[in-house]
Amino acid sequence: MNVNIGIADIINVSFNLLTYIVGVIGMWNIFLKFGSKGYYALIPIANIYRISEYAGREKDGRFLMLFDFSVKIVSIVFAVIDENSTEYNILVMLLILLTICDLLYSVRVYIGICKAFEKSKLWIILWLTADWICFFIFGVFKSFRPSEEYRDVLKKAEAAELSGIVVPGGDSRLSVNLRQRSVRSFFRKFTLLRDVHLSIPTGHMVLLLGGSGAGKTTFLNAVTGYEKADADISLGSLDIYKDYKRMKYDIGFVPQQDLMRDHDTVYRTIADAASLRLPISISGRERTERIKAILDEFGLYPLKDSLVSKLSGGQRKRLSIAMEYISYPTLFILDEPDSGLDGVVARGLFEKLRSIADTNKIVMVITHTPDRVIDLFDDVIVLAKDAERTGRLAYYGPAAEAASFFGKNSMEEILLSINQVDEGGEGRADEFVRKYTNLVKTAGGEA
Amino acid sequence: MNKMHTGRFAQTFIYVGKLFRMFIYRNDWKVLPMAAIIAGLVSYVVAGNLFRTMEGTLRGTFALSCICIWNGFFNSIQSVCRERPIIKREHRSGLHISSYIMAHMIYQGFLCICQTVITMIVLNYAKAAFPTNSFITSSALFDIGITMFLTTYAADMLALFVSSIVRNTTTAMTVMPFLMIFQLIFSGGFFQLQGAALAVTDFTISKWGLSALCAEGNYNDLPNGAILTAMSAMDTNKLTDEGVPADVSIALDKLVKDPEIREAFMKKCGELSYNGKFESSEENILFCWFNLILSTVVFACLSVISLEFIDRDRR
Repeated sequence: MNVNIGIADIINVSFNLLTYIVGVIGMWNIFLKFGSKGYYALIPIANIYRISEYAGREKDGRFLMLFDFSVKIVSIVFAVIDENSTEYNILVMLLILLTICDLLYSVRVYIGICKAFEKSKLWIILWLTADWICFFIFGVFKSFRPSEEYRDVLKKAEAAELSGIVVPGGDSRLSVNLRQRSVRSFFRKFTLLRDVHLSIPTGHMVLLLGGSGAGKTTFLNAVTGYEKADADISLGSLDIYKDYKRMKYDIGFVPQQDLMRDHDTVYRTIADAASLRLPISISGRERTERIKAILDEFGLYPLKDSLVSKLSGGQRKRLSIAMEYISYPTLFILDEPDSGLDGVVARGLFEKLRSIADTNKIVMVITHTPDRVIDLFDDVIVLAKDAERTGRLAYYGPAAEAASFFGKNSMEEILLSINQVDEGGEGRADEFVRKYTNLVKTAGGEA
Repeated sequence: MNKMHTGRFAQTFIYVGKLFRMFIYRNDWKVLPMAAIIAGLVSYVVAGNLFRTMEGTLRGTFALSCICIWNGFFNSIQSVCRERPIIKREHRSGLHISSYIMAHMIYQGFLCICQTVITMIVLNYAKAAFPTNSFITSSALFDIGITMFLTTYAADMLALFVSSIVRNTTTAMTVMPFLMIFQLIFSGGFFQLQGAALAVTDFTISKWGLSALCAEGNYNDLPNGAILTAMSAMDTNKLTDEGVPADVSIALDKLVKDPEIREAFMKKCGELSYNGKFESSEENILFCWFNLILSTVVFACLSVISLEFIDRDRR
């Protein structure tokens, strides 16, 4: 085979090699500056994902990596395909599409890098025209350093140790032994919640307190069996995970948003909810009576023929709760039922929930304004993000004792004490996780 | 003991009821007058030559397929994605996704039938020359109506599937024009396609709708006036000045002006333009219908499968 290599080809290859080497040297140093291993720079495509992650653009980096990879694959196929074929035309179209996406995500990631290094966004021009030069400059020059905040992400933090507590099941209690709830995203494992062990008796109304990202919703989803965790959760003698199909009708979950069809009537909304949630063994007459009773109980009977869109915020919230309460669930969970309600209406709503708990039910509530209704709760569960940013149990016990445990006067102050420093809190989550573990162990392991 | 709850069958009818209430209260009925307006506009342009000449029939049936696909897409493109969080909540409370999609299929079927009837009435008012011979049922109108219904319904299910996989109405409405363009370009009848592009046409609803409509309109038996339309604009007296022999010029003049010769010529052109895809036979029409029904079933099943993963939606 006769291959003609000209001087232009040699220059071209040499230049590409040079840009690659310079780029890798720069990238190697950037990794070191972030406190990571330099050899990541040698892994093509994945290296840019890693940098994106450090620059706080993990999601964009994920797409950039995929588009980068696709552009390379299409480019290779391009070289071996007939220029006059239909496939060639399709590939041209695909390559243009991928290149545009690749460019857009590159802009996002490069802006992230500039921000991490506290440099002007104007650098983006050089990043897009000759990224290898930028990698070199950002990596090699000492004046280019990522800000403290970005380097902190990689610091190995010391989170509170695992408690080793296990609560027994049985009786008519809700027993939670949640070892871990984690998710996998792009080959990486994220632990959202860990080491939560507690047991709630029926008839109790429990406040679930925690800062943003502390795992409150994750905890509720795990407890209800909606998103299974590595856990043993039982309600009475039944295992929620093993008997989920049966148990899900005995668990009511009221989401934060009023998820109902605006253009349906109040009566039909409740009636359809009843059709879904009530067992078919209940006669039609009994069902109609139950619907009427629920409408009455929640003060919605006079509005039964109104469209949901015509209801006020408080009425919508009551309807949303009534939809779940129609089956009289033993475990009743509400995610911020008072959001968007004024103080008087919210108080009335919580009093209603208190009366539900008093009928031997377990009512668990997330609220961001707990202090105005704290007297109505029996217990408080406090979840906090530990040093590894995983949700942990910082306290579970009587609402009246929570303030003294944390040395604070209100629930909002408690929240402030467990929140991370970068969230404006005191960053004492691990301290209280340890303190709570010791408290439980001293009391004989009963949470 | 395990208590029994409402099964799939009963849930389907709960949701059918819900959808019909939405039809009234949410003004979902708007798609019906919209169908009449679109049919009116298209009829005004294509009804004159529809089922009269080959090119008029091809243009007209292509336009009819477009109406059907447009109607189908608009019926359901937003129907699932706009209430996705509600479905997620209801799924948590025991909703069977298959019942939910089946309810949509029943409701959308009703809408598609109404739209087909409206379109047929409008076409009739626009004096479209419907064929007199039928192939499957006892009425040609009914045959054409069924094809239009199946095309609308298949497009409706495709849009329902798209609505089931996207997260919001903005994305759905962004995707819809691309789907529409894809259906138009790859209908396989109107634009000349070759190779792999031709094979793609088998996967479009427009191809089967268009083929069935052409077959029902006796496309291959119709005269083809495309050449004569162009020749009519020609001044045959001047042809000899341009070097055309006089006898040829006289023959061409007769061809353009003599109605009998003109008719025979168009008929012959029609025979030479025979297209196997549009063969007017029971088998061909049934084959097209089968493909439309198959698309409907496949898209409905895909909708169920995609919505089964709704619990994975994040906040």
